Amino acid sequence: MSHAPATEPAPPIYELKNVVKTRASEGYGFRLRVPSLRIHPGEKIALIGESGCGKSTLLDMLAFVLQPTRCERFVFRVDETDQDIAGAWKRRRQNRLAALRRRHLGYVMQTGGLLPYLTVRENIDLSRRILGMKDDGTVDKLARELGLDRHLKKYPADLSTGERQRVAIGRALAHRPAIVIADEPTASVDPFAAERIMALFMEMVEERNITVIVASHAWRHIKQLGLRRLAHHTRRSKDGRMAETVVSG
Amino acid sequence: MRQWMQTFALATRDYFHEWQISVCFVLALAAVLGPMMVLFGLKFGIVGSMIDELREDPAKREIRPVGSGRYDGAWIERLARRRDVAFVVPRVRSIAATLEVASDRAARILPLEVIPSAEGDPLLPPGTAVPEGFDRVVLSASAARKLQVGVGDGLTGSLVRRYQGRKERVHLPLTVVGVVPARVFGRDALFASVALNEALEDFRDGHAVPALGWEGSPPGRRTYTGFRLYARSIYDVAGLEAAFERRGIEVRTQSADIATVQRMDQTLSAIYWAIALIGLAGFSLSLGASLWANVDRKRRELSVLRLVGFRTGDIVWFPLVQSLYTALLGWALAVAIYRAAAWGINLMLAPQLDAAQQVCRLLPEHYAVALGLTLGASVLAAILAGLRAARVEPSEGLREL
Repeated sequence: MSHAPATEPAPPIYELKNVVKTRASEGYGFRLRVPSLRIHPGEKIALIGESGCGKSTLLDMLAFVLQPTRCERFVFRVDETDQDIAGAWKRRRQNRLAALRRRHLGYVMQTGGLLPYLTVRENIDLSRRILGMKDDGTVDKLARELGLDRHLKKYPADLSTGERQRVAIGRALAHRPAIVIADEPTASVDPFAAERIMALFMEMVEERNITVIVASHAWRHIKQLGLRRLAHHTRRSKDGRMAETVVSG
Repeated sequence: MRQWMQTFALATRDYFHEWQISVCFVLALAAVLGPMMVLFGLKFGIVGSMIDELREDPAKREIRPVGSGRYDGAWIERLARRRDVAFVVPRVRSIAATLEVASDRAARILPLEVIPSAEGDPLLPPGTAVPEGFDRVVLSASAARKLQVGVGDGLTGSLVRRYQGRKERVHLPLTVVGVVPARVFGRDALFASVALNEALEDFRDGHAVPALGWEGSPPGRRTYTGFRLYARSIYDVAGLEAAFERRGIEVRTQSADIATVQRMDQTLSAIYWAIALIGLAGFSLSLGASLWANVDRKRRELSVLRLVGFRTGDIVWFPLVQSLYTALLGWALAVAIYRAAAWGINLMLAPQLDAAQQVCRLLPEHYAVALGLTLGASVLAAILAGLRAARVEPSEGLREL
């Protein structure tokens, strides 16, 4: 089901050109450079690499929660409108970015990111509730698919790690976003469960025709899920104080 | 608006979900605010009742000239116009200011001290009729008891003079229009108008009093030997005393008593404010620190809210709403602590006090001030903490564990 960009008539949903994020701490520097990146609607993207190589940095920039240090072009195209993300950051239009996140993005974090004071049902419903979406059975359907029907009234603290990740997936999908970004969604789960959850996740986004970007440190178990892998390589300076990762695709 | 409501709802859920921690915040606040309220209640109650006592007792405001002098009517009138003088009437010679009074009910004739009085006399309780003309008089409670009369009863006053070698007695029909309670005035006395006082003196001096049909020589230029003067408030007594002494008029006042209470008020106030400032500083620090720490603790959850799409501006409300809960509940608990403590203290000291007196007392506005201070301090601390939370890039808090 992967789409080749050359034959895809629809314009890209993400278009990045020369986007750079630099970080420095205690004498160690890190730079993520994206010379060019285009992601098309419906694509399933994999970002594979060891932790610390800059995967999360890229995902956070794609989720509009991290400001790029430098940026030639960063366009998010949705509802047939180009959203100038680079410009929004420059003009500090945080609320504009929050609105885009709210409407079009789902995010699955490495460890849940659930609100401990809301029940499973309310956690899944959160992304719908801030959009003022009425209860139309979506949450229950998601919960059924994710095998969470029995847990809807529980609090996150009463769930296993795997169950929590499934709640997080539910929350990321509940408001029917255009994109779901998942940062090592199964890293904290045992390998067997991880494989099952990942397969379920991919099945669900495919069913809903959602563009998905997944970061993972293990290519092995997502290889067979038909994702396009972004090319990236990391270089270190001789003294090991400076690392640069270049991602493109 | 929708997001604001949701932030409010989420902050509320969180606050009560983590009730153990919320209870700690509330207790920490009440533990500082409660004792402060008790302290202020004590200071306000003790000094307040002492000052009330001073204020309510007109004797404390009285300024009496020592010995007798010569004052003319115009001078007395100028005194009456002073802003710090509540009431002043001239006195005639004390030897002249007496009257023998008889009633139909009592067997004996009672010699009474006659006290000049008029509208506004602080010794006349509110609602008491004012002595007027030559017949309407007010009795002290002891005089009324001895004469067995009350308001509305008639009396006969009589006085004697030796005039042109003859002993002359005149009678004077009087009506009791009021009685001054014993706690205000203890001696046997008759409060009469200045005109009646002057008539008594004139008659005894051998002058004519045409209004009463008493004959004698024409009266000369009138001077008075003294006056009855009450300052407007206890705080005016010292100033008036100094003014009289500058003119060489020696006066007797209760200024020493007043000064003692005022000094005590100042000392207690100073002590209170010292403790209150330390308490307030500790209170602000404890509230600020706990709210600050709370925002730090919740950074990840707040970041998640921003990731889900809550606006930065709405995030500031999150700690604010929670700190308002802490402030309200903490204040309510502090009020409960104060009420219990005040009840205990007042009960313990009740035997030493008048029925209406309270050692530990706060007015409704004091509760409001305490609430206002608490809300203000917590809103300030929460806004500072919330702005700090909002200033952090949303991605930064996400991966902390």
